[in-house]
Amino acid sequence: MNKNVLDQNMPTVATLFKRQRILDAIAVSCAEKTYASTTISDIVSRAGISRATFYKHFPNKRSCFDAAVEGFVAELRAVGRAAHSDAADNPENVRRAIAAALALMTAAPDYTRLVVIEAIAVDPSLIDRFRTLLIAALRGAGDGADGALPNKAATRTAYGQAQVLVANQILVGRGDELQELLPDIVYIALFPFTGPEEALKQAQLAR
Amino acid sequence: MTASGKLPRGRHGIPRELVVRSQRERLLAAMIETAAAKGYEETSVADVLEAAGVGRETFYELFEDKQDCFLAAHRILFDDFFDGVSAVYEQPGPWAQRVGNAMAELLDRLASDPDSTKVLLIEIGKAGPASRELFASTFTRVAALLNDGRGESPSAEALPNVANIAGGAVFARIYEEVLLGRAAELPRHCAEFTYEILVPFLGEEEARKEESRLSAG
Repeated sequence: MNKNVLDQNMPTVATLFKRQRILDAIAVSCAEKTYASTTISDIVSRAGISRATFYKHFPNKRSCFDAAVEGFVAELRAVGRAAHSDAADNPENVRRAIAAALALMTAAPDYTRLVVIEAIAVDPSLIDRFRTLLIAALRGAGDGADGALPNKAATRTAYGQAQVLVANQILVGRGDELQELLPDIVYIALFPFTGPEEALKQAQLAR
Repeated sequence: MTASGKLPRGRHGIPRELVVRSQRERLLAAMIETAAAKGYEETSVADVLEAAGVGRETFYELFEDKQDCFLAAHRILFDDFFDGVSAVYEQPGPWAQRVGNAMAELLDRLASDPDSTKVLLIEIGKAGPASRELFASTFTRVAALLNDGRGESPSAEALPNVANIAGGAVFARIYEEVLLGRAAELPRHCAEFTYEILVPFLGEEEARKEESRLSAG
């Protein structure tokens, strides 16, 4: 095989690292000074790259921001899926997925701020996209609860509600204790599928 | 005052303290109006000065910068909403009804003043890191009000943050409606939003009772 073809079409490891460094840099900067005040200069100096390198990866600040947010939402979905156990019932799996997501958010506070606080100020339509993605991940949570179909409006509320709780926890300075929210978010996530009584029961189990 | 809202020029008997206060108020009102119309980011100090009919020097005597003025305006707006709604909430009666009546008051206020509502909920999110802290402190005040309901809540023990759950649900719903430009129709959702507040505290049956009372009213 021609070595040049490979070089041209495949991102090298160094390139991927640089891209990740850029994403990390925008996350840190937005957490510190908000998206609106973050400049390309902030990003490149934090990432230790040149402006030209930035523009090789992203056409502008907004596309870089979107990539950081989307990457983190994908990670959240992945850890949620990985927490699934065939041996557990559905509510148990919801608890496990939420605990895993909260653990990831605790470990990545800057990205968490990006998703739950900054994104809505940058472009509210982003929230609708993540909501759709994350709600899909919960589908099946209420199976076995009288086969009740979730109320679509209620699942929308649940996402916003969880977002408000996580944002508030971070803003009152307890971002390193996101696990404290586990019972609350289990309740919120199950409520549209199971109604309040079963959601409450599961929240108690999550304590 | 003249028709343009400016104070009469030259010698007028108004004490300086009062002039300054009224200039401050005009600047705050102008900030709300301009930020609602153009968005916080697009609003310049010059826009606010023009709308208020106040000079640049006076502005910088009263405020550090645009953000300082905006946050001061937001604080006044929030306090005004909060005091008005909590006055209704503090009326004696069963807790569920107090929540229902306060919700009606809140939604009416939001619907009748779209500029203030947009500034209160949407534009604040664009006003820098200080606005993040402001969100947390205002949310905490709302949750503290709702904690009156813990006394009659069978679930409060299992859900220590039940007030945050309740407040978060309605905040998320109101935010979305305002964002979609539907603030004027908020009062239609009074029964449903009241249910959202009550259900984590009181359970399905009690929450539905108050929802029905409001729907019938």
